[in-house]
Amino acid sequence: MDKTTIICRCEEISCEEVEEVISNGGRTFDDVKRITRCGMGPCQAKICTSMVAEIIHQQTGLSLSEIPLPRMRMPLSPIKLETLATNSTSFSAVKSVLDDVEIEEGKVR
Amino acid sequence: METNYETIVIGGGVVGSGIAYHLSERYKEGVLVLDKKYPMSGTSGSTQAWVWVHNKTPSWYAEFSMYSAELYPYLSKKIGDVEYKRTGGLSPFFNESDREKAEKLAESYRKIGIKIKVLSREEVLEKEPYMNPEVAGATYSSIDGNVNPFRLIDMYMRAAKRNGVRYSTYNKVTEIKKHDGKYAVVSDNGAFECKNLILAGGTWSREIGDMLGVKIPVNQLRGQILVSEPLKPFLNFTISGLRQANNGEVLMGYSMEEAGFNRATTLDVIQETANMAVQYVPGLRKAKIVRAFSGIRAMPEDGFPILGKVPGHENLYVAATHSGVTLSPLIGTLITELIMDGETSIPIDRYSLSRFG
Repeated sequence: MDKTTIICRCEEISCEEVEEVISNGGRTFDDVKRITRCGMGPCQAKICTSMVAEIIHQQTGLSLSEIPLPRMRMPLSPIKLETLATNSTSFSAVKSVLDDVEIEEGKVR
Repeated sequence: METNYETIVIGGGVVGSGIAYHLSERYKEGVLVLDKKYPMSGTSGSTQAWVWVHNKTPSWYAEFSMYSAELYPYLSKKIGDVEYKRTGGLSPFFNESDREKAEKLAESYRKIGIKIKVLSREEVLEKEPYMNPEVAGATYSSIDGNVNPFRLIDMYMRAAKRNGVRYSTYNKVTEIKKHDGKYAVVSDNGAFECKNLILAGGTWSREIGDMLGVKIPVNQLRGQILVSEPLKPFLNFTISGLRQANNGEVLMGYSMEEAGFNRATTLDVIQETANMAVQYVPGLRKAKIVRAFSGIRAMPEDGFPILGKVPGHENLYVAATHSGVTLSPLIGTLITELIMDGETSIPIDRYSLSRFG
């Protein structure tokens, strides 16, 4: 790997960009991700995880087993929103900001 | 590493880094930020990052939020491009019965200088053509917008460091002691000493307060968000519930659950969020979701920011709040004024920790 090697193909993040985060104190894949977008694209870090771990290892001396894996989240592979929707329009955890507005004696509280 | 500082900030999230940056504009040396992990590993890195004003209640809190939103254009001139966009904010409603509430809101807020329009169905669709045609109306204000939270905190940190602020990350504070009018802050990587201590621990404020015997009543409130693949730009506004980022991805979600520090994403809330998104913007049905994430809001017990001096403790300050993204430029400005000048340009007594008794 040299400075211009592309580590994250989805977001086109180079080795140099990853290294900068580590030199500023980042230690984990997710630190690198939040600063650079490395691993935030459609593949969700399936390609770049081990290369980023290698860079962290080289720069910090942490052993690979001490470097946490990126946090994987649903749906793992992109799926259409309609697959997740159940077409209900009653909500409990999901709010509308207007719900928070309370009217008291004809005035906004 | 230097162990003596004028001021130490515990917590490097949007609130702590915002304060550190604003302090660094006034004095160039002697500020240290301690973070138990790396900034953005908590709340600040898992947010839709709306800069939101127009339907915060009560009106004095909306006014406070407005002052902060007004600082954003200037802030991005100073610290660099944080992808702040004053898109205007739309809060749709689907029952005509909500119109009366919306009109009351608009009427009350006109008095404090927040202009809210209550839109008809046709006006909503003219502004936001992809909105569900079954919408009844919406409240709209031009003051609302959004920002890229990662750029925001990265830029705060870079600007603060350029001005001499030191950061010590992956360095958890384990003990705080007070002696000879100074604070001794013990961390995983050694002890530091300072005159001024600022507690900006976000969701962990309660635990940090306990180290000094100060009760900071902040609870946790989870929110879950869905992220789409990048789509062509098609949403014009920050809609309360979803927004489109600069790179085209749409962030969807406005949920609240009491789940402590559990940052799991759960199928029931993901499904509800999907239902909300397709109700608002039916065209999203075919959009692909690449990720769900969840974040924990720092929620003071009465829902309002806790800001200012800690009563009974000289040179001890606290800044703990939800909506940290909206409020960070103002909180940074005010806490800096409080430390440097002893008073703030707008009153913050209402936000004092003393209200909890």
